[in-house]
Amino acid sequence: MKALYSWLQDFVTVSAPPDELASRLALSGTNIGGVENGPQGAVFDAEVTSNRPDCLSHYGIAREVGAIYKLALKQILPKPAESAAKIADAIKVEIRSPELCGRFTARVIRGVKIQPSPAWLKNRLEACGVASINNVVDISNYVMLELGHPLHTFDYDKIRDHSIVVRGANSRASGGNNADGERIKTLDGVERQLDPGTCVICDGDGSRIVGIGGIMGGAETEISFSTKNVLIECAWFDPIAIRRATRSLKLHTEASTRFARGADPEMAELASRRCAELILQLAGGELLAGVVDVYPAKHAPKKIQVTRAELLRVMGADVPDKEIESILGALGFAPVRVDENRGAAGSILAAWECTQPSWRAEVSREIDLIEEIVRIYGLDKFPPRLPASRQGAARLPHYEAEMRLRERLIGLGYREVVTIPHVAEERDALFRPADVVPASLANPLSEEAGILRSTGTVTMIGALEWNLNHGQRNARLFEIGHHYRLNGSKPVETRVLTLGATGAARDKNLYEPARDYSFADLKGDLDNLGALAGGLRWQEAATEYLNAARRGALFLKAEPLGVAGQLSRRVAERLKFRQDVYLAEINLGPFYCSYYGVKNSRRYQPIPRFPAVERDFSLMLSDGTHFSDVVKAISSLNIPDVASVEAADLFRGKNIPAGKYSLLIKITLQPRSATLTDAQINEVSARIMSTLEKELGAQLRTA
Amino acid sequence: MNAAENITPKKLAELGVTEPDQVATLFAQVRARFDDESTRVHGEESWKLFRDAWLGRKSGVLTQITDNWLKPAGPGLKPAVGAALNQLRAHVEPKIEALHAAIDSGGDAAASPRDRVDLSLPGVIRPVGSRHLIRQVFQEIEDIFFSIGFSVAEGPEIETSYYNFEALNIPEFHPVRDDMDTFYIDVPSSAGQQSNTSMLLRTHTSPVQIRTMEKTKPPVRVIVPGKVYRRDNPDATHSFMFHQIEGLAVDSDITFCDFTGTIEYFVKQFFGSGVKTRFRPSYFPFTEPSVEFDASCIFCNGTGSNSSGTTCSKCKGSGWIELFGAGMVDPAVYGFVNYDPKKVSGFAFGIGIDRLAMLKYGIDDIQAFFQNDVRFLKQFP
Repeated sequence: MKALYSWLQDFVTVSAPPDELASRLALSGTNIGGVENGPQGAVFDAEVTSNRPDCLSHYGIAREVGAIYKLALKQILPKPAESAAKIADAIKVEIRSPELCGRFTARVIRGVKIQPSPAWLKNRLEACGVASINNVVDISNYVMLELGHPLHTFDYDKIRDHSIVVRGANSRASGGNNADGERIKTLDGVERQLDPGTCVICDGDGSRIVGIGGIMGGAETEISFSTKNVLIECAWFDPIAIRRATRSLKLHTEASTRFARGADPEMAELASRRCAELILQLAGGELLAGVVDVYPAKHAPKKIQVTRAELLRVMGADVPDKEIESILGALGFAPVRVDENRGAAGSILAAWECTQPSWRAEVSREIDLIEEIVRIYGLDKFPPRLPASRQGAARLPHYEAEMRLRERLIGLGYREVVTIPHVAEERDALFRPADVVPASLANPLSEEAGILRSTGTVTMIGALEWNLNHGQRNARLFEIGHHYRLNGSKPVETRVLTLGATGAARDKNLYEPARDYSFADLKGDLDNLGALAGGLRWQEAATEYLNAARRGALFLKAEPLGVAGQLSRRVAERLKFRQDVYLAEINLGPFYCSYYGVKNSRRYQPIPRFPAVERDFSLMLSDGTHFSDVVKAISSLNIPDVASVEAADLFRGKNIPAGKYSLLIKITLQPRSATLTDAQINEVSARIMSTLEKELGAQLRTA
Repeated sequence: MNAAENITPKKLAELGVTEPDQVATLFAQVRARFDDESTRVHGEESWKLFRDAWLGRKSGVLTQITDNWLKPAGPGLKPAVGAALNQLRAHVEPKIEALHAAIDSGGDAAASPRDRVDLSLPGVIRPVGSRHLIRQVFQEIEDIFFSIGFSVAEGPEIETSYYNFEALNIPEFHPVRDDMDTFYIDVPSSAGQQSNTSMLLRTHTSPVQIRTMEKTKPPVRVIVPGKVYRRDNPDATHSFMFHQIEGLAVDSDITFCDFTGTIEYFVKQFFGSGVKTRFRPSYFPFTEPSVEFDASCIFCNGTGSNSSGTTCSKCKGSGWIELFGAGMVDPAVYGFVNYDPKKVSGFAFGIGIDRLAMLKYGIDDIQAFFQNDVRFLKQFP
């Protein structure tokens, strides 16, 4: 809301420079986004919070200024001259839906001259960002900006039977062929269909709609330059009904904003009188005597108590009696001291009974009054202190496991990414297991962001894609985040680790040649991570988006953990990737669980006192015989001294028959009780060789 | 006899030495040869040869003297030879030691440039990863609050309308819902968008306030890092996903002063002790009194203009930057979690992490966080 400094001065004799006033307003709750100097003087851009409809007016802001500077607020007492003719004979008003419209006032002025507004009126409106139309319409806008209460003016002669009916819109248009609801053409020339229950202003017998209550008037009855007689509507509409209606109509106006936040029902008659006064002044005519005022929502003002004890309990520091009384008084709460210690200044038992002003419907509790007191008194007057803690603080249960995981990933050269989980359904489907139901959005911003990712992989692909498309060929990325799935109608969020890597594992440098990232890098890195949780088990996998020759499923003991491998050619081509991409995704729940289990059961292994012996065996094996078969065959011998079996070299080709490959294994023998003799070593070697020959058909290859 | 002549392989008798007073001359000759040879030692290799020639166990000069001169000497000569040999040894050994030390310190300088490393060349750079900047800021903030007794909690990103709105005192058709445009989840059996149980992407981390209080009796002191979602069209300052840290402290004696003290402590830890802070009254349905928290602009030190005198673009000349919203927990919220609003009080805050990181590191496009360009990631090791 734009507020003119000079307009505020109509109501309060403030003299502080505009910048200082802006700062004081901001620090008391009316934030000022900026101060501009225009032909009308300083203009404040007041950012009024949604709980303060009263401050969507100059009078309301002036009240704040009065409270801040302890200045009196001028009263508004319009006294327009009235003719002998009575209003009651000129217009009838019936409210059929009091739950939608709590008050409706009507005044009529005859014989007005519609013409352009005088300069002072135009200037003030324009400084506030409102375009000038004609004197009568401008006056209704002016009064709204001044007093905060929206008004509507009708061409009186176009109101059938000089009768107004306020009701809820019907679900079917009466008599017409619009089977699905009533319609009206509003002032802006748009034909609008109304939801049943929308508050409408009708004329005659109530069948013709002439305005959407509190939102916008109708085109058929609007003021034109030929208008002679004016009907002033100043009403009060239920905030929730207005919000419902604006939401369904997708129509927000200055009037609807004020009614939606809660206008002041008591102000309706006063604003109407002020409007009449200005019309007489600027457009002439005669005002019919009195007002038609239908006011079903009238109620006695609410009483609210505020006590010093509660103020101290919430705020932790005191405010003097005088300040409390002056602030609440200036804001219209009429505080009266009601405790037994009346007169004892600063009493801990002090209590004030306040009267809720009609323009502050949202102030209804003691805490609300406390806020009123302290925001004007100054929040900076409450000394900050750091409260003592009464209990230990706990990290997230998986904090340590995740920290160790992240630390290891970083050591392995992976950079963390954070992705937005909204993806295209089609993209998600590329990576989604067949039995998974994704979580779709009911109201996505676009198809491209229509569902939440059902795997971590789908957005990891996006991150790799971004980098490849922006000339970054080498990327080694990880993300720790959730994927989202539906289990029936229940959403399930699962924490996963996703890896994505492409390009060089090592760039060419002065000392070493370049090397591309390969499946072995991915496997080694995952095993390095898996060591934190007791070691991974790898198995063949059938994951479709991964290359059938280079993929695996990961397990922790029997628990499935995830998959890893090279992106399949089919998907890579579809995504237009021109280089190999490696992916892995693992479920972190079981991983973290296992991390703590392994950590807590870890025990020291004494360092062996006797030297270990290594023996190499160069084996010729059939394709399809796995390294794990070799390890299994050796471990089946249960030789206690065999500490490890490692694959040291592997080759095919020259000197190796087709269908065979050569594998060099390195066996480490670690004796426990004495240094091994040559005879013992030879005996073990012979047993191992004979088993491998027998079990796997391995041939010992001599170099 | 001249200095160059090697006399030590010979026996004393062969050299014609029979009287003790002849011994000194003999040793002087050996010593002269040592001094002469020592001047020709350059570098490690020649030093080693020199050392072995004089101190070698089998055939070094001192061993030769012992074997050829001392051992065969008769009783008349032996004491003189022994004394002279000790003197010679006392001269030779330290000198050889000293020569070595000199070679060590001057040796590399003397080595050929070909052998020396070029320090301006890079070493082998092994790839190292990095934490995402958002994660770094989360961690920093978590650590600050953890140090003053705040536990860390999490909650679901897919929430019900009840936790995201109703229990936070934001009933349907409340005006602030207009500021929190919401993504709804299309759940087959969901009762429609506006019902209490309808599923949505949380618009703030505040639902975890409710979830925490439901599970825990006071005192509660917790922070909640996480992702939040608002249905805004993306631009340089808006992303439909961003990050918040929620804070909540409820106890029998928490006051507004405790609240401002806690926030000030955090901001000074995060931005530095020079930063000034202020609280502006504001409005949130789940806090009362509510405040916006401002810090003095770190780009212009709160002056509103930068060093060249032009208006500071970050704070638009105000000298203040709006950091986040907060306040004392509204008593209505306690009603949803069965806390007695007459017996407990507390405060809550919600800090936008992305914005904080953008301010602290001068990032001008929020989208950069989520594009994950490695050139961006590398800047925050």
